[in-house]
Amino acid sequence: MASAMTDRTSRAGNTYTYTSRPRALPCQRRRYRDSFLQAEEEPVHYGNIMYDRRVIRGNTYALQTGQLAGQPDPLELQRRQQAKRRALARKRAQEQLRPRTPEPVEGRKHVDVQTELYLEEIADRVIEVDMECQTDAFLDRPATPLFIPAKTGKDVNTQILEGELFDFDLEVKPMLEVLVGKTIEQSLLEVMEEEELANLQAMQHAYEEIRNIELAEVQRLEEQERRHREEKERRKHQQWEIVNKHNETSQKIAARAFAQRYLADLLPSVFSSLRDSGYFYDPIERDIEIGFLPWLMNEVEKTMEYCMVGRTVLDMLIREVVERRLNMYENKDKHQSLKPEDMYGGPGTMRDPTVGYDFQEQSLSHTQRPLLDRDDPQRMSYGDPSQERKYMDEGELLGQSEETAIRKSTGKDELQ
Amino acid sequence: MDATTAPHRIPAEMPQYGEANHIFELMQTMLEQLLIHQPEDPVSFMIKHLNRNNDNVPKIIILGPPASGKTTIAMWLCKHLNSNLLSMQNLIGRELQFMNPEMKRQYLRTKMIPSALLVRLIEDRLEEEDCIKRGWILDGIPETREQALTIQSQGIIPRHVVVLSALDTVLIERNLGKRVDPQTGEIYHTTFDWPPESDIQNRLVVPPGISEMETARKLLEYHRNIVRIIPSYPKILKVISADQPCVDVFYQALTYVQTHHRSNAPFTPRVLLCGPTGSGKSLQAALLAQKYSLVNVCCGQLLKEAVADKTQFGELIRPFFEKQMVVPDSLVVKVLTQRLDHQDSIQKGWVMHGFPRDQDQAHMLDTLGYEPNRVFFLNVPLDSIIERLTLRRTDPVTGERYHLLYKPPPTMEIQARLLQNPKDSEEQVKLKVDLFYRNSADLEQFYKQAITLNGDQDPYTVFEYVESGIINPLPKKVP
Repeated sequence: MASAMTDRTSRAGNTYTYTSRPRALPCQRRRYRDSFLQAEEEPVHYGNIMYDRRVIRGNTYALQTGQLAGQPDPLELQRRQQAKRRALARKRAQEQLRPRTPEPVEGRKHVDVQTELYLEEIADRVIEVDMECQTDAFLDRPATPLFIPAKTGKDVNTQILEGELFDFDLEVKPMLEVLVGKTIEQSLLEVMEEEELANLQAMQHAYEEIRNIELAEVQRLEEQERRHREEKERRKHQQWEIVNKHNETSQKIAARAFAQRYLADLLPSVFSSLRDSGYFYDPIERDIEIGFLPWLMNEVEKTMEYCMVGRTVLDMLIREVVERRLNMYENKDKHQSLKPEDMYGGPGTMRDPTVGYDFQEQSLSHTQRPLLDRDDPQRMSYGDPSQERKYMDEGELLGQSEETAIRKSTGKDELQ
Repeated sequence: MDATTAPHRIPAEMPQYGEANHIFELMQTMLEQLLIHQPEDPVSFMIKHLNRNNDNVPKIIILGPPASGKTTIAMWLCKHLNSNLLSMQNLIGRELQFMNPEMKRQYLRTKMIPSALLVRLIEDRLEEEDCIKRGWILDGIPETREQALTIQSQGIIPRHVVVLSALDTVLIERNLGKRVDPQTGEIYHTTFDWPPESDIQNRLVVPPGISEMETARKLLEYHRNIVRIIPSYPKILKVISADQPCVDVFYQALTYVQTHHRSNAPFTPRVLLCGPTGSGKSLQAALLAQKYSLVNVCCGQLLKEAVADKTQFGELIRPFFEKQMVVPDSLVVKVLTQRLDHQDSIQKGWVMHGFPRDQDQAHMLDTLGYEPNRVFFLNVPLDSIIERLTLRRTDPVTGERYHLLYKPPPTMEIQARLLQNPKDSEEQVKLKVDLFYRNSADLEQFYKQAITLNGDQDPYTVFEYVESGIINPLPKKVP
């Protein structure tokens, strides 16, 4: 049946399912004889003979003896027989090795004896006793009786009459008690709650008061602390400023002292450097240098010029005189060998010109006379020839202021 | 007691600041200008003067006979110092169109104008911005003493006056080769200063008035006048011989023009003497201390004194001395600081020798605030050092020190018993000299304004060099 089932299912699809109705397992021993009633419920195990494995297929006259399913291979059989033989041999060897009781001594014989408590007769032949019994003929199975379970328990009965069960007053009492009690309790509770609340409130107020006071106290302390701190800060700051100022002042003082010392020499140095560079000059010296000396040099130059002019004029005079004399000499037929030539030397000799000058003036130069007239008294007064030159120069110098212009012009005319 | 008169502890930065910024010279020039100009509002004048900040611009006068090359030198100096050149031509050239015709005629005829006009022209030119900012170089002005005096009395004060001089014969000969470039106005010479470019060569013309007679006449005028101009500029004059190649003349002039003159600023010398052992540092320091009453700070001496006095530093230094090891820098610096902080060394100045031996020590000295304002390096060749040191001897009996060459002992007896300090042996000396030379390059680089002297001379000669190095202001570096 199972195989039929499985064949069916395997053909249906890939999944394997197996279901079967619950069935009572067939008992091997039948109590009652087979009846016609049982057929439909128990499917009979049958199978197709074609697919039965026990049936041999093919030709049977050349039947291979081996390889039936589950049948042992002949080789295997042989091997098993050999193994059995070996095992037997091993067992025999072991039995031989097993210690046995030694062989009896000479003239003795071993006998087996039972030593248990209850002896048993051992006989070769087993005691047999025949017994007979008989079973009744098979009967039909009777119909099953209705099953009524046995009664258990005890039966008891009672009866309640009216008014026996419920008494209002009695019954009401606990309820009333409860109700009233509960109400009262509730109200008590409420009152207590109120009281408690009031208490709490009062406590809270008190607490708040205390807290406010404490806060105020704290604030006050804080204020105090802050003021202290600020005061400290301010004092520190003040002190720091003072120290700073002190430092600065000392630095300034040091700087001033240093600057004073360093620049102590400044003014004299400035003045001396200005003097060296010529900005400060001695005004008298400068005045002399700028005013007086050039004038002096000028005058000296002029005097020297006049000197030169005078000498040139003198030279010219001498030349003229000499020429005239020469002419006179040449004209006068060599009568006079004139010494004036020796006396009057060459133009430029210093010794004679003074003498010659006088001489000239006396004898000649009408043109010069008005000019030289004023000199005459001065010159004539100094008769000494050695001093004459000097005096003449002096006279020239003294007389210069009046005659400067005239002389200059004559000089210039002469030179030009 | 007035707080301003008590003796003050002046912090050391103040004199250093004053020195570094030349405060004294600044105040001096400002005061001079104030006195010269005498403005009505002195404060704003001073502010304007300080804002100009032109104390260091070149103010140079160059004088010299004709053909001495003063125009050339003046032009080169102008270019080098980036300054303005003022000469007779360019002063008058600007004014030519404004002069009245009579003066113009006179000028064109005699090439001379009245001194008053010239001085006025100079004054006006010097008031202009570029002269104020960049300075001026006067070429050939003043020509007479009168001009010089007038310029001076107007308050125009040069800082350097260079007078070129040469023999008359040389000048007359030189003048014959003078050539002028008409475009640039530069003066060239056929032999000494020939222009390299050929186009300039082709342009050159012979200027008028270079014949011998002319030159001789001009020389006569010049000699007459220069003798009287020179005394007007007594302290700032320098005469340079013009009879050398013009490059040499130029460099001499340039060096002179860039030196400061000695100023009267109060100066506390803080001198550092560096040199190998045996170069004479202690001797020079002793001489300086004696003459200028400076404090002689000898590093080795200070350490020995500290050890001998058993001060707290001395206790720290003694183990190094006993083991003959070099004392570490920190200790040395502490001892030195202690000494240099004394009031007397701040006030009088100091001369130090034997301390910084290498660049780190020099750095340390600087960071502590004890910068020296004069540094001298004494150079002595190794042979001289060896000669000076290895011949030192001491007499054990009298304690007298002799030198076998420079101060020999009087008698043979004394000479026989003389002993030599083992530190004076040749190897020791060579070792110390090597040690110095290893670090000297670093030190020289660190002290850029140091003055190097030849220490191989007579001590008083070296002392004179040191003195002149201290007294003269430090040379300005060429920018």
